[in-house]
Amino acid sequence: MRMANSRSSSGSRRRAFACFALLLAAVFLFHGEIQGLLQYLGGPVGHVASIPLEVIASIDTGIANRWQRYVVLQGVWDENQQLRKDIEWLRGQNSQLHELAAATERLTALLQFKEQALPTMVAARVIGRDTTNRYQALILNKGERDGIKPDMGVITPAGVVGRIVKTTGASSVVLLVTDPNNAIAGLIQRTRDEGVVEGTQQGRAQLKYLPLLSTLQHGDRVVTSGLIGDFPRGLAIGTIMHIDKQEGALFQSAELMLEVDVGRVEEVLVIQASSGQSTKAAREVDPPGKP
Amino acid sequence: MKLLLGLILVLLLVPVQATLLPHLSVWNIKPDLGLVAAAFVGLFAGEMEGLLVGLAIGWVLNLFSASELGLSLLTNGGVGLLAGFLGRQVSQVTSISVGVGLLAVSLASGLLEAATSKNIDLAQVWQMVGAIVLPQACFDGLVGTGLYWLLSQRFQLARLRTE
Repeated sequence: MRMANSRSSSGSRRRAFACFALLLAAVFLFHGEIQGLLQYLGGPVGHVASIPLEVIASIDTGIANRWQRYVVLQGVWDENQQLRKDIEWLRGQNSQLHELAAATERLTALLQFKEQALPTMVAARVIGRDTTNRYQALILNKGERDGIKPDMGVITPAGVVGRIVKTTGASSVVLLVTDPNNAIAGLIQRTRDEGVVEGTQQGRAQLKYLPLLSTLQHGDRVVTSGLIGDFPRGLAIGTIMHIDKQEGALFQSAELMLEVDVGRVEEVLVIQASSGQSTKAAREVDPPGKP
Repeated sequence: MKLLLGLILVLLLVPVQATLLPHLSVWNIKPDLGLVAAAFVGLFAGEMEGLLVGLAIGWVLNLFSASELGLSLLTNGGVGLLAGFLGRQVSQVTSISVGVGLLAVSLASGLLEAATSKNIDLAQVWQMVGAIVLPQACFDGLVGTGLYWLLSQRFQLARLRTE
C-alpha cells in the first residue's frame, strides 16, 4: 500500500523540519522580540478572529437566556419571595446610607476636601473563556480600539474580577483574581492591615503576607488598597473565611470568599484610569487657576 | 483552496474552544481542539501542512489566552509536523493509535508548558500536572479516538491518506 502523505516529497519534508528547527531556535534565542512581533501582528488577526467569536457568543448567550427564562423555572417563586425580602432590607439600608452620604458631604465641604474624581470605566461583555486549561481568564469584546490596555483593572458593581493581561484590536483577556498568577494589593477594612490577594490552584483566592500581630477575624471584609496597580482604593474583593497562622511563620494568610462569582460573570467594567490618575489627567487638561 | 480551508478551520476553532467547549468541560477541563486539529491536518495532509496549520492555530488561539505567546505556537506546530511524519511511518492507523498518539503528545506539550511556567514552585508544577495536564491529555486522546472513528465511518480514510 502506498503510504500516507507519500506524495509529499522528501524535499518538502526536509523543509518542514528545517522551518521548525529555525523557528524553535528563533523563539528561544529572541524570545522577547518574537513575542513582541507576534503580539503586534496579533492585533489585526485577533480583530478578524473575534468576529466569529462574537457571533457564536451572541448565539450562546441567546440560548442561555431563553433556557433561563422559559425552561429552568423551578424555584423561581421562592427566589422571588426571597428577593422581595432582600429589597425591603436594602430599602432600609439605602435610606440609612443616604443619611450617611449627606452627612459625609457636609463634613467634606466643611473640611474643604477636593472632590475625588470617579474613575473612567468602559463596559464590556464576556464573550469567552481562556482557550487553555492552565489559566483562569475571560475574553472581553472590547480591545485596543476602545482604549483598553494591559494591567487595567476589571470589576463588576459587586467587586474586583481581575486585570487585563492581553489585548488585540477588538478583544482583551482578563486574568481572574482566582488565578495563581494574579496578585492584587488588598486591605482588611476593619484592621487596616495590608496584604496581597493571590489566586490558588483550586480557583479560590487568599490574602497573603499579613502581619503576625494582625487581629483579623472570620467575616472581615477585604478591599483594594489602591497602592499598587490600576485599582482605586476601597473596591470590594471578598470576605475572610479561614485564617492560616502557622507557628514559626513570618506572616499569616487568610482564605477569601470572593464578592464576585467569577464563574458567572457576563458583563464587566474596565477601569481605564483610577481616581488618582483621572484627577491628574483632569489637572493636566485644566490647569489650576484656569477660568 | 487549501489556504481557505485552513483559514476557516483556524477561525472556527476560536469560538468553539473559547465559547462552546467551556459548557462541555468536565471538572473544568476541556480538550485542546487546536492540538487535535493540528494532528489531524498533519496526518492527512503531510508534515508541511501540519506544521503551518499547527503554527497558525497555536498563534490565534494564544491571542485569546492569558498564556505567553510562543510556546503553544511551537507545541501545536510541532504536533502537526510530528503527526505528518508518524502518519507516513505507521502502516495501519486506527482510532486507538490516534488516541494514544494524541494522549502522548498532549502530555508532552503539557509537561513542557508546566515545566516552563513562571512564579510557581515544583510542588505546584506537580499539582498542575495532576489536576490539568494529565486529565487534559486523556480528554484529548478520547476526542481524537472518537473523531477518527467518526470520520472512518463516513469516509474511506486509508484512501484519503494515500491520495
